[in-house]
Amino acid sequence: MILVGSHIITPLGDSVEANIARILAGDTPDEIVHKLPEAGDFANRCVRSITEALQKDAVPVNTTETVIIVSSTKGEDLDLITPAQRICEELENPNPPIVVSNACTSGVCAQIVANRLIESGQYKYAVVVGCDIVTEFIRSGFEALKALSDTVCCPFDAHRDGLNLGEAVATMVFAADEYLAFHPKQAYWHYEAGCMHNDANHLTGPSREGEGSFRCLCEVLEGVDAKDVTMIGLHGTGTVYNDEMESIALYRAGLSAVPANSLKGYFGHTLGAAGLLETILCLRALEERIILPTKGFTEQGTTYPVAVNAAHRHIEGNNDLHFIKLLSGFGGTNAAVRYKRICNP
Amino acid sequence: MQSIADIVLTSETRLTDVYRTQIGDYPKFFKMDLLCRVGFVASELLLQQEGVERFVPRDNRAVVLAGRSGCIHNDRAYEATIQPDNYFPSPSLFVYTLPNIVTGEIAIRNKYLGETMYYALQEEEQLLPLIEATLSDKISSVLGGWIEAIDDEHFIAKLHIWIR
Amino acid sequence: MDSLKEQLKAQIIEALNLEEMQPSDIQNDQPLFGEGLGLDSIDALELIVLLDKQYGIKLSNPKEGKAIFQSIDSMAEYIAAHRTK
Repeated sequence: MILVGSHIITPLGDSVEANIARILAGDTPDEIVHKLPEAGDFANRCVRSITEALQKDAVPVNTTETVIIVSSTKGEDLDLITPAQRICEELENPNPPIVVSNACTSGVCAQIVANRLIESGQYKYAVVVGCDIVTEFIRSGFEALKALSDTVCCPFDAHRDGLNLGEAVATMVFAADEYLAFHPKQAYWHYEAGCMHNDANHLTGPSREGEGSFRCLCEVLEGVDAKDVTMIGLHGTGTVYNDEMESIALYRAGLSAVPANSLKGYFGHTLGAAGLLETILCLRALEERIILPTKGFTEQGTTYPVAVNAAHRHIEGNNDLHFIKLLSGFGGTNAAVRYKRICNP
Repeated sequence: MQSIADIVLTSETRLTDVYRTQIGDYPKFFKMDLLCRVGFVASELLLQQEGVERFVPRDNRAVVLAGRSGCIHNDRAYEATIQPDNYFPSPSLFVYTLPNIVTGEIAIRNKYLGETMYYALQEEEQLLPLIEATLSDKISSVLGGWIEAIDDEHFIAKLHIWIR
Repeated sequence: MDSLKEQLKAQIIEALNLEEMQPSDIQNDQPLFGEGLGLDSIDALELIVLLDKQYGIKLSNPKEGKAIFQSIDSMAEYIAAHRTK
């Protein structure tokens, strides 16, 4: 399947371009909780983002050929189904919604589900939207787990001490490869692989050997060399345990030297939106051959160093672009996807 | 896909009694919320029915559960610990405020290192076609089904072991 | 001190859902974590809540918990010295 459209709404702005511009300009406020400016209405936010994402391409949403997949950990008012149904109704999509609720990995899992549904032939298009609202329910819980930092999070840093929470809406629109026969594109991102593995270890703590993430990285690398991976978008929440585990998984998979980043310093952990938001931003920056920076990182702080950088980097040369996104989450979940940039001469 | 084992567990079941008499030796059971207890007990009975070797790490079995209401029962329990006049947020309750945790409990118990997933769906009938359409080549069997846990008097689990 | 220890054991059993245990199953000097009762990191966090809820003690630094939660003895000693309820 190919990526035909995307859109994001974050406290930094209502478009992918606006967000990237501010990140590259170093014009991002230091926040501990990143709240969207207007009070949350889950369905409205998602419909707005989906509508924008559908602007440029000929993808219909009011048809049985299009499946809407919602990625969210808590939905709205502790209800996952009702807001998703409202999204489908607003967009006049006749299919029942599919809500992927797999903790923090939801956004990547939803991409994997989209791919498999399109490959199965059941649908021609998939609209994947991720959203979570930072409520007192969620905030108090993370605080009770002592997972929050009271400063801006610093992924992979020696002084990291916790995560920040944030809100965002992120949409990715996918089409089957056949779409290109009728709508040729000069350049596009092709979804190459995706997988999920459970650590089978602990409900909230990652496995000490990063087992699930390691298996995901190995599986998602099948068919490509580690040295051909242009960059990896990491989970990098800024907690002591998550970042350490990720560094171990990368090392075990032979990927420690691959340029990597975590965007949690700009947006916080956006839960159900994270996997989509972070993938969209990394892919768009890669189109300009840029690797987005890791805000908050100053000094290596994991057992195995990770190739993140506080400054953005340019990709030299003309090699094909391969991107991997990795996430892990509560319930022992781990998920990874890989995309390749296809450019027609 | 073919169902080689199945179980239906309803709220007529006294979960703790079944745990004590037919499962046992897993004190973590008592930390679980209602959704996880329902899922755990149902999966244990199902796997006993399947009768193959257990607790050996494997990654070719997926755990895919779906429901309409997620973990609402535990959500309310957690909410009760964050009342303004009685504010003692419980970390152990918060852990269970994600619906996919039940798949994690099953994975931990059985050493399943494969895919685990929770879907919120309107109708039970959506699940099997969804599983069939999204089955990874690496997965040879699925422990899956519909699970709803509203309160002690209203819960149901309809689980299967499905194979290709 | 003895009655505090007995009360503490009952409170811990309830707070941590150790349903198959009786207070008499917990020795005063037995390690609560690791080998002993096999408690984990989430249990440690619940004990922090217990200190606050039952005894009005707010642990400013959760890392102090490790020493305090060694055993019933160490917990009771800490509570006796710092309780505000």
